Amino acid sequence: MLTEIQEGKALNPVVKNITQEKIKLYAEASGDFNPIHVDESFAAKTPLGGTIAHGMLNLAYVSEMMTMAFGRSWLSGGKLRAKFKEPARPGDTLTIDGKIDCVEQKDGISYANCNFECRNQKGETLVAGEAIVKVSSDDK
Amino acid sequence: MPDKTISYEELAPGYKFPAASYKLSASLVSKYLKAVDSSGDGFVPPLAITAITIATMAGSIPLPPGTVAIHASQELEFFKLVPIGTTIECHTEVAQKIARGKMSMLSLELEVFDQSKEKVQSGKATVALLT
Repeated sequence: MLTEIQEGKALNPVVKNITQEKIKLYAEASGDFNPIHVDESFAAKTPLGGTIAHGMLNLAYVSEMMTMAFGRSWLSGGKLRAKFKEPARPGDTLTIDGKIDCVEQKDGISYANCNFECRNQKGETLVAGEAIVKVSSDDK
Repeated sequence: MPDKTISYEELAPGYKFPAASYKLSASLVSKYLKAVDSSGDGFVPPLAITAITIATMAGSIPLPPGTVAIHASQELEFFKLVPIGTTIECHTEVAQKIARGKMSMLSLELEVFDQSKEKVQSGKATVALLT
């Protein structure tokens, strides 16, 4: 958990490796067997040229970073908006990082507005977005 | 579980998919945590709930063979902690449908309630479909 909520504060990054095995596990856990994720011969014939990770798997890593930073405040009152710009592929190493852009007060409650990015090992941005967390008194 | 009686062509803004219920069992959550390489903290990860909701909805849309469906954007809001063992009810509605040549975009509004009918999360998923 973050010990202080202040503008410009970086969130601890999350680093994950994507493998076809992980994609398969995610498909089984979520029930999303879209062939672009799990059928290598189908995916090879598409414009994407191969399988890609579920966008929601990438977003799960973003949520992990937010949970590490804000704990239950994130789980019970978080808000996010994300754009999937490029797919994550087997063999990629993803780094998810973010920072607190600003802390706003509204009706006596503090909100931490964060931005985040998920990049691959080439530095390409795969996912980008914003997240807002209601900061409880325990977090401050 | 939702039926598969509607075709993609018939989907229009305002269409509500049949609601679907799931029990977020310990084994389901454990499987999810293993898949996302995370340890969890005794509650259901909110993204697990979203993933199940989206997969349910996606499974009920019979896409033309060969269609590639890619997640384009996602909005989410979480309202409460969800204990393991909770039964959720997922509601999905078509918000927008845009066709541009061989690509179309489908936006869906999601709402998830627990067994007390309290909202646990809401969101909007946009999927790009390439034919």
